Amino acid sequence: MNFSKTLASLAVASASLCGAAGYAVGQDNCPEVIKLGTTVSDSGAFSPLSAGWHEMIVAYAQKINDAGGVALSDCGSNASVELVVYDDQSNPATAVTLFEKMISEEGVDFLVGPDWSSLGLAVSSVAERHDIPVVMANVAAPNVYREGQTNVFGTPYPIVPLWSKRYFEMLETVEPKPTSIFFVVQDNPITNAISGFWTKQAEESSYSVVGTETFPSDLKDFTSIILKIRQAKPDIIYISSFDTASVPLVQQMRQLRVKAMDVHHVMLSGALANQVGEDVEGLSGEIGWINSIDNEESALAAEVMAEVGLDPFLSVFAIARYTPAVVMLQAIEMAGSVDRDKVRQMLRSATFEGPGGEIRFDHLGYPSETNGAFTIQIQDGNPEVVWPPELQTKPVAWPAPSWQ
Amino acid sequence: MNSSIDLVTVAQLLINGTLLGGLYALIAFGLSVVYGVANILNFAHGTMLAIAAISGAVLYEKFGLPIPVILIILVSFGFVFGWIFYLTLLQPLEKREPHQRTVGMVLVAVGALIIMGDVTAVLAGAEQRVIRVSSTYFEIRGVIISGTQIGILVGAAVCMIALHIFLTRSWTGSSIRAVAQNTIGATICGIDSARTSATTFALGAGIVAVAGLMYIISYPLNPYSGFPLTVKAFSIILLGGIGNLTGTLLAGLALGIGEAVVAFTIGPQWAAAVSILIVLGCLLLFPGLTTSRREA
Repeated sequence: MNFSKTLASLAVASASLCGAAGYAVGQDNCPEVIKLGTTVSDSGAFSPLSAGWHEMIVAYAQKINDAGGVALSDCGSNASVELVVYDDQSNPATAVTLFEKMISEEGVDFLVGPDWSSLGLAVSSVAERHDIPVVMANVAAPNVYREGQTNVFGTPYPIVPLWSKRYFEMLETVEPKPTSIFFVVQDNPITNAISGFWTKQAEESSYSVVGTETFPSDLKDFTSIILKIRQAKPDIIYISSFDTASVPLVQQMRQLRVKAMDVHHVMLSGALANQVGEDVEGLSGEIGWINSIDNEESALAAEVMAEVGLDPFLSVFAIARYTPAVVMLQAIEMAGSVDRDKVRQMLRSATFEGPGGEIRFDHLGYPSETNGAFTIQIQDGNPEVVWPPELQTKPVAWPAPSWQ
Repeated sequence: MNSSIDLVTVAQLLINGTLLGGLYALIAFGLSVVYGVANILNFAHGTMLAIAAISGAVLYEKFGLPIPVILIILVSFGFVFGWIFYLTLLQPLEKREPHQRTVGMVLVAVGALIIMGDVTAVLAGAEQRVIRVSSTYFEIRGVIISGTQIGILVGAAVCMIALHIFLTRSWTGSSIRAVAQNTIGATICGIDSARTSATTFALGAGIVAVAGLMYIISYPLNPYSGFPLTVKAFSIILLGGIGNLTGTLLAGLALGIGEAVVAFTIGPQWAAAVSILIVLGCLLLFPGLTTSRREA
């Protein structure tokens, strides 16, 4: 009996070892097709934000294939790109199931996505468990990028510490110089992190922070906040909020005739502009990418977006969704094969050329030096880049005439 | 920051609270009629409002229809929809035991709000919408008043008076009240109770359509943002008296001002708690409130 048990155990152990070896041997580092797995929120709560993204990443892969695919120098050949894309329904549990399926059934080589921190947090564990590198998209929460992980990278941008860097740089150059600032913050981890970081920076830069008001995401009547702003009379009103949550805030600020040198919205987008209408005139804000950036990847991104009919101002987070595939394919090309160890090493150490500029990951996989925030101002109904000066499409109107 | 509160700020706060309260009252009228008169706890009330609002926004954006035309379309459609909704989903439950009827109606309403929200999101998109209309603003000694919001407050008052006249002076209104007071007695007197209840529900849906249009002119909405409005409406009718339209108007104004004061003095994140506290307070202090009725 004991002997039988030992024999059975040995058989199981041998089978497991053979299976593992088979898996390792089965990894073809020089494939004809590189399979990238991802999910997009085609349905569910986040779907309004990700409209057109599925088509965008498919069109990007097609462009890469049309240009000859990805060069694998160790293999002396090129490989085409196949995207495996599923709808995660904006649901973390669904995303986990789909990524597991892509890895175990579809045999994807690498992962590029998903979006949103709640999904990213769940999927990061899947990537770690299977030891497959993942470059995530709009996953900005710092707690997703943890010590001890080796496979998790992300390209959200702008990132919190650099979100308003260029805006504050610009403020140093304007006349008359603003001296006071009022923070209006949507109660959300990302917007809280942005305002928390920039409140500290503003204080260190000798601005007087004359008020901070936090509002819940579903607040419709902003009278109480606006009355406090009117009492405080700040030079700058800094709104740290997702675009649609603050539509009534901007409208009611106009109705109650709020005055300031500038009203700054950290997620100024086409969706906000469409809903607010002409009241958006003069508002300043940030945008993650502008197609006037002069590099090859920016030109390609502009081409792809035009092809699928995506307006980067209407879909401000599209560029962070686009970039993971760009970074992953560059990492594979630098590695010379699809050897995951080599690709992982490249992701850790190399500098990548993204549409918005250079991307480097820190030891946690966070793109800590990636500055994708360009300061814009709505002038005559159009988003104009006002900072940095080298990419300026129009000089900043200061103080913003519509808020006087 | 200057912590002193000047008179202009106080006046502005109270006026905006009053105008917001007018909108809340308008939202609660439909629920007051349906719950107070027909005894149907319609948890889909806010969702029906959101759907009417989004339909109005689509008609405004895509077809450029004027607001009065949209109002007529929405009220007509709301009435017909309410009628069909009642006859197909709620009327079969009227034959059940009282507790089965109550639980069944709640389940139908909750199921309906989920389905209606998803269907609207698929058909019209899940993004929030708003109808942007140009408004006149009056400034009196630094206090700014929106013409649109005054219009909504006046609309709420007109709606209340019209409803009151309809319920007390018309034959249909009298039959609605008769069915609410004693269904069997009303039936003996020749009133078709099923038809009357359907009319009541349809009337409530029509009022919801008016409220939805007024709401989306003031604030943005998406197909899923209706349920918090149901909670507000429920707290208003509890405070104002179930089926009592004047009480509903006054309770709506009180809630609007209460939220404005709490948001200013404590913080905006606490404003939503006011309606919840009203519900809890009413249920704790007056346990029989949800079953008591007042004259409409």
